[in-house]
Amino acid sequence: MENPILSGSVVDLINSDRVTPATRSALLERLNKPAVTNPQFFSEAEFIRLQLVCNQLVPQPKGDSIDIAGLIDDRLANQKTDGWRYDDLPNDGDAYRLFLTGINQTAEALYDHSFDTIIAKQREAVLLAAQQGEATGPAWQMLPADRFFGELLAEVVEVYYSHPMVQERIGYTGMADLMV
Amino acid sequence: MTNNEIADAVVIGTGAGGAPLLARLAMAGLKVVALEAGKFWKATDDFATDERAQDFLFWNDERLSAGNDPIAFGRNNSGTGVGGSTLHYTAYTPRLQPDDLRLRTDFGVGEDWPLGYHRDIEPYYDELEQFLGVSGPAPYPWGPSRKKAYRYGPLPVNGAGRLMEKGCRELGIHTSPAANAALSAPQFQEGFGWRSACTNRGFCQAGCNNGAKASMDVTFIPLAIQHGAEVRAECFVTHFERDSRGRITAVVYQQNGQEKRQRCQNVFLCAGAVETPRLLLMNDLANSSGQVGRNLMAHTALQIWGEFDEETIPWRGIPGAVISEDTHRPEDPDFVGGYLLQSIGVMPVTYASQMARGRGLWGPSLHDAMNRYRHVAGINILGDCLPYGHNYLELSDEKDGRGFPKPRVHFSMGENEERLTSHANQIMRAVWDAAGAKNVWAFPRNAHVIGTARMGTDREQAVVNPNGRSFDIPNLYISDNSTFPSALSVNPALTIMALSLRTADQFL
Repeated sequence: MENPILSGSVVDLINSDRVTPATRSALLERLNKPAVTNPQFFSEAEFIRLQLVCNQLVPQPKGDSIDIAGLIDDRLANQKTDGWRYDDLPNDGDAYRLFLTGINQTAEALYDHSFDTIIAKQREAVLLAAQQGEATGPAWQMLPADRFFGELLAEVVEVYYSHPMVQERIGYTGMADLMV
Repeated sequence: MTNNEIADAVVIGTGAGGAPLLARLAMAGLKVVALEAGKFWKATDDFATDERAQDFLFWNDERLSAGNDPIAFGRNNSGTGVGGSTLHYTAYTPRLQPDDLRLRTDFGVGEDWPLGYHRDIEPYYDELEQFLGVSGPAPYPWGPSRKKAYRYGPLPVNGAGRLMEKGCRELGIHTSPAANAALSAPQFQEGFGWRSACTNRGFCQAGCNNGAKASMDVTFIPLAIQHGAEVRAECFVTHFERDSRGRITAVVYQQNGQEKRQRCQNVFLCAGAVETPRLLLMNDLANSSGQVGRNLMAHTALQIWGEFDEETIPWRGIPGAVISEDTHRPEDPDFVGGYLLQSIGVMPVTYASQMARGRGLWGPSLHDAMNRYRHVAGINILGDCLPYGHNYLELSDEKDGRGFPKPRVHFSMGENEERLTSHANQIMRAVWDAAGAKNVWAFPRNAHVIGTARMGTDREQAVVNPNGRSFDIPNLYISDNSTFPSALSVNPALTIMALSLRTADQFL
């Protein structure tokens, strides 16, 4: 199947002489990166749940498949950090796992079902409860839900809006340098 | 130089604090070696015009942020690589004003600096603005009149800048094109060659790829190398060897997984206001005052964002194009000190991330807001901050990848910072309303860590003397933002460089 991501005009721009070789190399690598199918940090079950969370936070147009969860898995597997974390949060990997456990506990408390099987509207309600620090479940005793939600959301959004096709959609063409 | 030769000086860190004095000492004929934790990049080949690809410019070893207003690090407040944080500073280079140096005299709180503006700082500003090639207006409307005009005319005013001019005009607030250390005309730089004029690609915070921005890697570092300095990249300093009198005799560091040592006569510690106190605390060094890590300050730096009918193209042009210092000392304030106003452009990933953190937007509402990205413009402040006992840096029990304790930084705004920020919030919202902004929102933040090894005249209250020399270890000097006794109401880079040159001159 043709990859819809590679049909955008941003690809023409990236391949033009308005873009430096360093920029082209970075963006083509991102465009061509295969999706993670065997997560290295998360378990299969955790990874599927994280994908559900990402779809809820940044719904993707039909046909798009930007692999947000895969890049988060990559980062955690390689123990990369962004240079800081809140002192009252556990390390990034533990925090992600606690969050994924916590939203499942909240889903079961609210709907008697796993987060993985409830409908999208219910998932939205669970995530909103986490964002507002009002989610129920023992995992939240070990993780301030609202604070970590902000961290998770920031990472998801940063990965998504780093994708050249998404940047094209919001009208960003700053990857092109004016040559002098 | 071999490690067993005795260097006249080892300089730790190559940012705004280390690079200027490295060049000065080399030009005086001293044998100097700089040790830099990060890599030696070649901007034209290594710097992509892409935010995510440029993450390597930031100090990404984890720091722990505590307090009521935890400070973000990573892309904020940190840097690594030859050139340090200047690789990703916005090149905003306002001068401090003389009354910034006497907060205690004027307000009875905070600290005075043990330095005089005209004697100790102004001559270095004059020199730096010419050497770096600062582009700015003539005349500059605030502060003492300058002896020399900026070397080049101001850079073009971008979308956010034009809107700030419009909003301020309505309210009677004076504005001016800002001073930025990025070239509006090409300049020859000794040891480097020709630096290009700025192409207004607006990417200062993710690394300049044509030498227009005066980061240290295209200015003082090549000058230092031209005059015989040796710059060793990817060297992480861990401790020091000392003689029976307590003087440092060698700097010990890790390079490529190996421990190495460089013998030396003198050490200049220029690692920034987090790594400098961290290294001193790890080694229980230069801290008879108990002030290492204390007096931590961070500029009040509230941002106000808005959407406009017209396109602003927020990624284009020098990010901080327009300034006002009318709020440097507002009339009848209910707070100490003051602040400057600055227009700000923004890159898309940074903006999206701030909307996630600041507004908590997700789902369709996030898409809606990001679809208006081309219509976004910001305005922010850079304001003073008082030192408090509750704001400090300490070593945590958690170890980093190298096996050393992660620093924990405590920061909570005091009543003064809350009042100053509230004053600024009202003014900036009024400016944005007058300029026609819609969907206005505020992003609270504190930027630039300052003051963790303060200078002073009393060895019981300060870590270094006014020349940057340690009271405890006579051949140890500190040159970076950790020595600032007060935060100042301007961005720190130009002043860090000025103090760096001054420390070198006093040493020589």
